[in-house]
Amino acid sequence: MAITTIPHRRDVIKDIKNRGGLVAAVLPIHYSRALLRAFDIFPIELWGPPKVDVSLGGAHLQSYVCSIVHNALSFLKMGELNVASLILIPHTCDSLQGLTSVLMDMIKPEQTIFPLYLPRGQREEDVVFLVDELQALYAHFSDFTGKYPTNEELLTAIKREELSDLLLLKLHKNRQQMGLSNIDFYRLVRSREYLSAEHFAALAENALQVTGETAGGIPVILSGILPEPMKMLDVISKMKGQVVADDLACCGRRLYQPGTSREPFRRMAERIIYAPPDPTRGNSIAERAEYLIEMARNSGAKGIIFYEVKFCEPELFDLPNLRNCLKEQGLASINIEVDINNLLPHQIATRIGAFLEMLDS
Amino acid sequence: MKIAALGIDVGSTTIKMVAVNSVGEMVWNHLEQVDPRVEKQVDSFLEKLRNEIKSLEGIPLVATGYGRNLVQQAVKNITEITCHTRGVYHQLGHGGTLIDIGGQDSKVVVIGAEGQVLDFAMNDKCAAGTGRFLENSAARMHIPVVEMGFVALSATEEVTISSTCTVFAESEIISMLAQGIEVEPILMGLHRSLVKRVTAMVRSVGLAPPLLLSGGVVKNPAIRKVIEDETKEKVFIPEHPQLMGAYGAALFALGIK
Repeated sequence: MAITTIPHRRDVIKDIKNRGGLVAAVLPIHYSRALLRAFDIFPIELWGPPKVDVSLGGAHLQSYVCSIVHNALSFLKMGELNVASLILIPHTCDSLQGLTSVLMDMIKPEQTIFPLYLPRGQREEDVVFLVDELQALYAHFSDFTGKYPTNEELLTAIKREELSDLLLLKLHKNRQQMGLSNIDFYRLVRSREYLSAEHFAALAENALQVTGETAGGIPVILSGILPEPMKMLDVISKMKGQVVADDLACCGRRLYQPGTSREPFRRMAERIIYAPPDPTRGNSIAERAEYLIEMARNSGAKGIIFYEVKFCEPELFDLPNLRNCLKEQGLASINIEVDINNLLPHQIATRIGAFLEMLDS
Repeated sequence: MKIAALGIDVGSTTIKMVAVNSVGEMVWNHLEQVDPRVEKQVDSFLEKLRNEIKSLEGIPLVATGYGRNLVQQAVKNITEITCHTRGVYHQLGHGGTLIDIGGQDSKVVVIGAEGQVLDFAMNDKCAAGTGRFLENSAARMHIPVVEMGFVALSATEEVTISSTCTVFAESEIISMLAQGIEVEPILMGLHRSLVKRVTAMVRSVGLAPPLLLSGGVVKNPAIRKVIEDETKEKVFIPEHPQLMGAYGAALFALGIK
């Protein structure tokens, strides 16, 4: 598949604006795309982005806040978020929660800020909590847009996203038969971060029709937050590694299953709450270890590369014990921490190379 | 001298080349401070060897170390973690936990009973826990690097250096010197600070005795002593600790031949 068929994020935004659509800048990780789309708001996710003037955000944030949050704020201060009418910030971690406060209380940008509080568990009361949150968000969006989508309209939007997410899941499952390099696969699946469900579904269906031989190599799982700088994926390929499964917060942890409830808010909430284990949603280390071991068994992965953003508290807090659990089960892992603004340091390439050599020996 | 394979370790501080015979014995080696023009320096290494044995035709070379990708003559590049492991295992004949403290990075490798890498950790890209940490401190106190271990061991007391960052440690040293504290206890504290950083990495991978040491910093006797203090383990050092990466690379080249 020619990777050039994936539209650029800027062109997608331009197209939405030309059609008079509303753009929402959405920060990581979990939210309901369907809820936004029911109001004709197009979510464009903001995972960083890299290569911004970080000093702009640095004026408001502590140095130990991760580069994703630093960059998002810097991006806003650079005027790059002027295309967005609103900013949705899920309460993923303390840093993003802090960013919400900084924006609402100090910076007061032109865009309206919408926080989304996520529960930390998978109990019934967590579902109820999230249902309430989504209903509150619905009310805020109604005030903002003057629209009141019906339950049927909400369900239509949900099903559209579910179809797209099923195709995303299929891409992940078929990744070894698609003939894509590590980096091309991630360019494809990460376009879900800014394409509409319809657009992504069309792209995914085309991609799934193409089969080819992958380069092969030492099979590994990629975990962590996001594969940035993406050059890391080329490093893995160059060193004869092949990412065969995914536990990244921006990708594999958002393989939401279709819901069953006819009540739209409950269905949206259940999809988020019962997604693959994620420390930001309160899943235990044991649950994550079990999930990753099963993933390795199914994909044939020999080890896990935890590719973490420096200072990512929810990820790094669990990691020592999680890695010990995996080690006890015979699954090797490595932890690599990066600042998404830095060029890929040579030491990281060496660590990835040594890890692959270790798995191969 | 019959050479069967070559290994080169292009480190951040020194370049080492080793030649082995057909049974993997080290028969030649050469070490120099690294030059920014690595390719030229590698040429000069090969030229030096060529002068001794006439022809290098058909002798495979494997490169390792920080600058391994710059060695055009290499038939293969292998990371220093794998090469150090191979070199140390071949020379000592058993596994264990290897601590390699290099000029600009340090690593801890758990080596299995059959010489395989079971786990490893490398320090972050800062100079804490590396030879550079000692070099900077030695320069600040006007003590030659080669002597600082001996001076540290002559201390009758020791101060605590709380900063693991090289730059902050330097500020701490200046402050201590200004308070009239003697050089010896400061040096001993510096060694302990470096070793504590390294032993934290040992704990992260889990110590599997015996403890093995390699790398240029091993020549410093205080490092060995403080590592033994901190880990309560006797350490074992191969005959040429600084050459283990290049030696391992040569052994890999021998396997390729």
